Amino acid sequence: TMLLALGPKAWPKLSQFKPLLRISGGETLHRNSRHWAGQGQRQGPGLRTRLLITALFGAGLGWAWLAARAEKEQWRQQQRTEALRQAAVGQGDFSLLDHKGQPRCKADFRGQWVLMYFGFTHCPDICPDELEKLVQVVRKLEAEPDLPLVQPVFITVDPERDDVAAMARYVQEFHPRLLGLTGSTEQVAHASRNYRVYYSAGPKDEDQDYIVDHSIAIYLLNPDGLFTDYYGRSRSAEQIVESIRRHIAAFHSVLP
Amino acid sequence: TGGMAAPTMEERKACWGARDEFWQCLDSHGDDAAECKKLRRAFESRCPQQWVKHFDKRRDFLKYKKKLETEGYHAPETAGKS
Repeated sequence: TMLLALGPKAWPKLSQFKPLLRISGGETLHRNSRHWAGQGQRQGPGLRTRLLITALFGAGLGWAWLAARAEKEQWRQQQRTEALRQAAVGQGDFSLLDHKGQPRCKADFRGQWVLMYFGFTHCPDICPDELEKLVQVVRKLEAEPDLPLVQPVFITVDPERDDVAAMARYVQEFHPRLLGLTGSTEQVAHASRNYRVYYSAGPKDEDQDYIVDHSIAIYLLNPDGLFTDYYGRSRSAEQIVESIRRHIAAFHSVLP
Repeated sequence: TGGMAAPTMEERKACWGARDEFWQCLDSHGDDAAECKKLRRAFESRCPQQWVKHFDKRRDFLKYKKKLETEGYHAPETAGKS
């Protein structure tokens, strides 16, 4: 259409391309001429051809632009995959002990979907509720034979009290596959930092008891170990199941 | 790692049950009712002290939230209104 705006001066140059263009579908031309026969002054074949050339030229430009865009998109995609690969390995790592006393790090979970919750065993209500919801999600997914098993993980933000034995007592009451993770103060701090989990132990009372204030979220990691989604208190087990199903369906590994 | 072990699931549920009974009593008889004193003692005996404090705060918060929902927010009155 830009070429039309250039006016008739542009046409002599463009008309040299005319013989190079094979206009396929002669029926189209006939149809067009029938359509235009109704209009007042006969425009003649010249205008039709000009319009066609313009359209084809525009299409050519458009195609070139799309091709360039696709190539840029592909390059961006490769960059993104590379960044994800690095994040999968480096991001969100931890070095902790499970409730059987075995050392665990994030790489141990490669190949598995992981549902992770940070809390503490002396928690009055929120942690048991959220863990109950988490294992409900795991059980619902277990019931579907086509889906891979999701690994539930509970990480303490109270390493002072939640040693391996305490973790074992706690997790066993929720689900046989619920894995408890604990460690030294530094190891727990390191893991929490990696997942942006805030926690702060409150004042101790006469019984040396205290409550740990902490951010509440269930984290989903994909089989590459990448953080994929998180679920707050307001999400129901059903909603979380739906979300995980979608993530599983959409998953493409970036690791070799 | 000093101090008591964390409550088991059974102990947690017993504590929550005692709390719920106490709160139900308060809901029907008003918050300072004498009728609820016995349930208060049962609640305190079944739950760790920290949890009692925590649940007391929670009840205050829930009541305040309900008040906001039903009555709306009232800014604190200032002396000498025109």
